[in-house]
Amino acid sequence: MTAHTEGIALEADLLGKKYGGRRGGWALRECDFALPTGRICALVGPNGAGKSTLLALAAGLTRPTEGTLARPARDDLAYVAQSKPLHPRLTVADTLRMGRELNPGRWDGAAALRVVEGGGFSSDTLVHHLSGGQRTRVALALALGKRAGLLLLDEPMADLDPLARHQLMGLLMADAAERGTTVVMSSHILTELEGSCDHLLLLAGGRIRLAGTVDDLLAAHALLRGPVGDLAPHTVVDSRTTGRQLTALVRREGPVEGPWETTEPSLEELLLAHLRTPEGAPA
Amino acid sequence: MSSPALRGPAWVTVRQYRRTLWAALALVLLALAAVAALRIWDARYPDTALENGGWNPDPDNRAFGLLQWLLQYLGMGLALLPIAVAALVAGPMVAREYESGTYSLSLTQSVSPAAWLRSKLLLTAAGASLTALAGMGVFALGWSRTGEVGYFLWAEPYVYIPTGAVLFAYLLAALAVGALIGQLVRRTLPAMAATALVMGLLTLVLGAYRWSLMPVETVTGPAGPTLWAPGNGLVMDTGLLTSSGARFDESRCWEQINNAPGIDTDPQAWGKAQAQCFADHGVVSQYADYHPESHFWPTQLIESGILLALAALALYAAFRVLRARHP
Repeated sequence: MTAHTEGIALEADLLGKKYGGRRGGWALRECDFALPTGRICALVGPNGAGKSTLLALAAGLTRPTEGTLARPARDDLAYVAQSKPLHPRLTVADTLRMGRELNPGRWDGAAALRVVEGGGFSSDTLVHHLSGGQRTRVALALALGKRAGLLLLDEPMADLDPLARHQLMGLLMADAAERGTTVVMSSHILTELEGSCDHLLLLAGGRIRLAGTVDDLLAAHALLRGPVGDLAPHTVVDSRTTGRQLTALVRREGPVEGPWETTEPSLEELLLAHLRTPEGAPA
Repeated sequence: MSSPALRGPAWVTVRQYRRTLWAALALVLLALAAVAALRIWDARYPDTALENGGWNPDPDNRAFGLLQWLLQYLGMGLALLPIAVAALVAGPMVAREYESGTYSLSLTQSVSPAAWLRSKLLLTAAGASLTALAGMGVFALGWSRTGEVGYFLWAEPYVYIPTGAVLFAYLLAALAVGALIGQLVRRTLPAMAATALVMGLLTLVLGAYRWSLMPVETVTGPAGPTLWAPGNGLVMDTGLLTSSGARFDESRCWEQINNAPGIDTDPQAWGKAQAQCFADHGVVSQYADYHPESHFWPTQLIESGILLALAALALYAAFRVLRARHP
């Protein structure tokens, strides 16, 4: 299934994926979203929310159980799985040569080398002997060297030290901005997403809880502080009271009027509020 | 072993399995060196001529016996090569990609899943066939010397398989079965074990029914002296014939012989009772059902046909499974 809507990189229509035959559970259910081209999209959610399943479906590694997912052709997407799988008995140089051999006509060796550089290993090292962070570098190098329009990254920075994370994130973002690449990146590290992502997909229990641009989502919510009281007509996502003091994150219906101090939440506050509520406020 | 002419997934496969290819080459060269050395050693002892025009190796010639012994193991090794190839394809080549997750790397490059599997299978087919061909050459080098001494050996599995076309058919079936089971089991060691089991059973079953594929030929002769099948034939069944030409079931005489007087005391009584019984039933001659050596190639071709049909089915199923899993 290829993306046919102009300007849309990835579009799910009632997408569902069930594992393990008849008795298996649904990893994803009734997912609807459209991701415009050129966005840097954060895919967020608790463990088991269906993030990896969604990315594997987008990469074309499995077929949906129901619904459809319009996505680019195989040669125009790159995917890095969470475990950063690589062939252990190949050297780094051979692994990059593999990228060239398997992507004839589109491989950019210089872009791949930029990612591998600074990893502290020589190109004749066997992949088998690399550390977790170094493997991540090689896996990302393969993905960037492919020069795909859609980059699917499953927990890309999890194994990296803060310095390497900062360097690679900068490299990735600059590269994506320069080429207009669409990036979908799942992560647990909320601060990693703040400032680099302009689009958000929040998954919980296999369903989409929030989807949209970060700016729109932040503007649609408000963080309230003040006396305990009825917050209607706004939808409370998460609230806590300390004595008589109420702190609540609401999805606003028009301007907030009342005795509360209103601020726009940060992305991290917004995500934490949604992740804390198990069933979640109706979106 | 890396050739600059290889491109795409073929380059990747050769790069990953270059050690296996080197090992195969080393084994072939080792076998060649051993067989060649034994033939040179063997050539130093002149054969003893027999009165019937045949010959026997010199009693001091230890090389001849060693060569026979080595060829038996070389032949068995070649007959078992398809099982090893099947396990290699099913385990390290296919199942390990799923077990270690590298399939997600391989299948998200600009190469279709079918091209990915096809390239693995084509390269293994080429590598295994060349290894088999070289091994058959080494075997033939030894067999051209020792083969003339044995009887019926052309039908022994360790000679029948490495001297005919059937070895290549076994190799192709091994590839196809390996590709299918590797995808279904998706864990390296269980996939290897399951595939080796399936190929082992296939080899055993075909070995058991191989000589039922062609109709036997029959030779008859007077009852009494040992009846030899002509032309180094493989005897499948022997028995007695009555004067009408019908086959005689010898168990029909058992009761009569056991009830003969003095059967427990007189050592001659058994033979006499049997001869009496045969005479009563009009047994005059004997027969032998056998496969002449000329059945070698027809049997090879029929067996190869069966194997190729199985290979085609397994290959079709393997690519269907691949397509069903990965869009």
